[in-house]
Amino acid sequence: MSRVHVTCTINGDPAEFLCDGGQTLLDALRDEVGLTGAKEGCGTGDCGACSIVMDGRLLCSCLVLAPEAEGTSISTVEGMATGDDLHPLQQCFLEGAALQCGVCTPGFLVAAKALLDRNPDPTETEIRYGLAGNLCRCTGYDKIVRAVQAAAERLSG
Amino acid sequence: MAVRVHLSSNLRGPAGGLAEIEAEGATVGALIDDLDNRYPGLGDALRSGVSVVIDGLLIAHPEYEPLAEGAQVYFVPQTAGG
Amino acid sequence: MTVTEPKPRYKYVGTRPVRHDGLEKVTGRARFAADLNLPGQLHGIVVRSPHAHARITSIDTSEAEAMPGVKAVITSEDFPAVAPGHRQYDMCVNVIARDKVFYEGHALAAVAASTRDQAQAAAAAVKVEYEVLPAVLTIDQALAPDAPVLHAHMMTAGANPPAEEASNISNITRFSSGTDMDAGFAEADLVMEREFTTRPVHQGYIEPHACVADTGQDGHTTIWCSSQGHFNVRSSTATLLGWENTRIRVIPAEIGGGFGGKTTIYLEPLAVALSAKAGRPVKMVMTRDEVFRATGPAPGTKLRIKLGAQSDGNLVAGDAYLIYTNGAYAGPGGLLGAMTVFESYNIPHFDIEALDVVINTARSAAYRAPAAPLTAYAMETLLDEVAEELGIDAMELRLKNAVTEGEPSTMGFPFARIGFVECLEAVRDHPHFSAPLGPNQGRGLAAGYWFNIGESSSATVNLNEDGTATVVTGSPDIGGSRASMALMAAEELGIDPMDIRPVVGDTEAVGFTDITEGSRATFATGMAVVEACRKMVVELRGRAAKMMGVDVDDVDWVDGQAVYTGSDSDKDPLSVADICAKAKRTGGPLTATGSLEAHGAGPGFAVHLCDVEVDPETGVVRVVRYTASQDAGTAIHPSYVEGQIQGGVAQGVGWALNEEYIYDSDGVMENPSFLDYRVPVASDLPMIDAIIVEVPNPAHPYGVRGVGETGIVPPIPAVANAIYDATGCRIRDLPMSPIRVLEAITANGGSNGS
Repeated sequence: MSRVHVTCTINGDPAEFLCDGGQTLLDALRDEVGLTGAKEGCGTGDCGACSIVMDGRLLCSCLVLAPEAEGTSISTVEGMATGDDLHPLQQCFLEGAALQCGVCTPGFLVAAKALLDRNPDPTETEIRYGLAGNLCRCTGYDKIVRAVQAAAERLSG
Repeated sequence: MAVRVHLSSNLRGPAGGLAEIEAEGATVGALIDDLDNRYPGLGDALRSGVSVVIDGLLIAHPEYEPLAEGAQVYFVPQTAGG
Repeated sequence: MTVTEPKPRYKYVGTRPVRHDGLEKVTGRARFAADLNLPGQLHGIVVRSPHAHARITSIDTSEAEAMPGVKAVITSEDFPAVAPGHRQYDMCVNVIARDKVFYEGHALAAVAASTRDQAQAAAAAVKVEYEVLPAVLTIDQALAPDAPVLHAHMMTAGANPPAEEASNISNITRFSSGTDMDAGFAEADLVMEREFTTRPVHQGYIEPHACVADTGQDGHTTIWCSSQGHFNVRSSTATLLGWENTRIRVIPAEIGGGFGGKTTIYLEPLAVALSAKAGRPVKMVMTRDEVFRATGPAPGTKLRIKLGAQSDGNLVAGDAYLIYTNGAYAGPGGLLGAMTVFESYNIPHFDIEALDVVINTARSAAYRAPAAPLTAYAMETLLDEVAEELGIDAMELRLKNAVTEGEPSTMGFPFARIGFVECLEAVRDHPHFSAPLGPNQGRGLAAGYWFNIGESSSATVNLNEDGTATVVTGSPDIGGSRASMALMAAEELGIDPMDIRPVVGDTEAVGFTDITEGSRATFATGMAVVEACRKMVVELRGRAAKMMGVDVDDVDWVDGQAVYTGSDSDKDPLSVADICAKAKRTGGPLTATGSLEAHGAGPGFAVHLCDVEVDPETGVVRVVRYTASQDAGTAIHPSYVEGQIQGGVAQGVGWALNEEYIYDSDGVMENPSFLDYRVPVASDLPMIDAIIVEVPNPAHPYGVRGVGETGIVPPIPAVANAIYDATGCRIRDLPMSPIRVLEAITANGGSNGS
């Protein structure tokens, strides 16, 4: 089976990779591009651990076929920090102990950034619904929601 | 050492239902030997899957734990966890 | 935070620094097991049984072996035989079935190929012939007189008189006060008896099981995997393969949640065997579907409790009959249920009988405070009924009967210092306790108890040339234990926690350490860290004495410095960095180890208060406010103690309201996805107010008690009691999903009971 050549932008950099036609974008990012920040928790779009942003839309990359990335601009957790400067969400997750095992954390950060990009001053309820596509089994979400609140404040301040 | 042995209720079968027994031993292992001599089969019941509590201290693998004169030794089932 | 006992003033313990492994985890760089790839790596896929109970009559791997890219196919024939009676027989035949399969999803062969697609195709081409056997799917079926017996060798342990024939009861546990129960109940003014049923639930860790194994021609293998205990992965893999431990090195990857479900193994021996056969590294990653069908779950139960109380609320008698299904193999559910059901209260007359039963579902694994959330569900909701019937406040009833120091446990021993009453008082005194409720809302109170275990731990402290330190332990860090280790080491050595690098060492880099389970990492491994640090301080004083030219007895260790206490002359104090800089001249590298079997595990209590709002038209229950107190002994890093409490609450709420395994009539799981097995999401929960109670454990140098598990014990009854308060309906069947709540409201005449 011949492989598909995909050209796109990943975290601001031009990127290209070869993939199988039936490969998920998640697998391509992890296995072909080498970005393992997005995780596979379910493979069915139910847990959000593989969250990425593609052309401005928050997606589960396990539900996108890799060839669909052609010509798109993709953001992953690896692109959130600028050099050594963490994104305020990353900083607030650290300071607020908003992670325990950490496997859902990349997905939460990507989803939370997508939320704040669209709604810089969300209510607690808006945060909870905005992150309802991401499963965390460790934290009970309390410290995650508080970290997003703190980051929103920091970003607007 | 003479100590006072307390058996949790699930361990009393081989001891004829006794809850408390005076027994001898410089260590918990020796104590179990003494108990087994007097209550055949009790030794097997106490040697695996059983912890002791001595002076409030839970000890999961107590075979060589030294005993003081007059100690209160509680045999209890071993716990597990997630 | 409530501090109930005076404690020493610590400089670092009790502070909230950013965790050491945090940066890697927020940037996506932390390496979990599935993130690792090796050159030349193959992909392994497991062949699983489609039947819940069947005899394997033949396995033909020839077609699969001939398929493109396939490099190895294995079955149980590739492992040394194990016989019933072997210490780890159940684990071995669960990892790869021999002769019979005992549940849908039971592994029976595995394939390694160049790509995952090729491996999947080959796995589908492994031809297995089965003689399908009748499946035993419920407790009632398992206990029926004519039930098919799963294991011909299973003689009930603990039976009196001893069992003479095999049955589906693996174990009977009996605890009693040894008193006359009839007389005990005769002392009561009120006797109430209730029955409860619950279904299996999954731990639901977000990271599926994964490993990579690389077996060399020298017969040694390296395994990278996600587990709660890599030394256990080593010994269990060695047992299955019939190898010596030294042939296996296990390197712990970051672990994406476990909750008990990663205290046993599934994939590693298969990956090693495939790797040995193919001569290449083999990576195996479970799908979520496999995780649901073949790992976990926590037991389902049938529980019956009878309580007798006097009119003043004094509990006088308790009778419990508990049945736990541990899936296809023997398990400890009933034993642990029996040990926890009455443990929180003084009940002079008690009789507890617990059965562990096998059925044709996946072998149960530990799940956070195994068995206790279910006994709490039964006991704490019945206590609420007793309180209401007697006209006594639910909090007062608990305070009146709560166990305290010196009072006997169900096992007979007197409790050491414990903080149950303090947890009750912390909730009673919280504003939530007296806050008004809205329409269709109700409030529920419940308590919970769980043990803590000790077991073996090792730690090595290495001081570096620049005065910083590396602390290596053998405990996988599931939820922040690295930070705890660094904080205790910082306190002992007197150096900043951020100058300490806490590391989880592999099986060849640190001494033997038992699994991260039983809430033991910060307790027991923390003790090993403290022991290593105290040895280090002795060494540091000696080195400092050499540098000062004084007697070591005249050198104390104060706030991270060697201080001369003699009177001969003035000497400047020497810091760790000063001593490290001269280490080569004073005796060489500064290294100390602590290895111990931790005694004195301290039990933990928790008290939860939950407000729900019930939609009377749909039966949907929303948790709208939640407060949870827990005795942590001493909170080393309070943020992660709160996190453990809050996480336990969320899991318990999911267990109460949504989560259950659903099987069809053939024993095939019908909801093996996060879509159909619904765990709580952020919009399902409110903020969870965690109150840390600190009644130090006298057996730990910093007073630590187990923290990780207790938080999952009270939520189910707290939610159930709140639903009753809102609707007037007692629901004694889990989960309390909308359909069951609506049925209960309808059966109750649709009235609102509050």
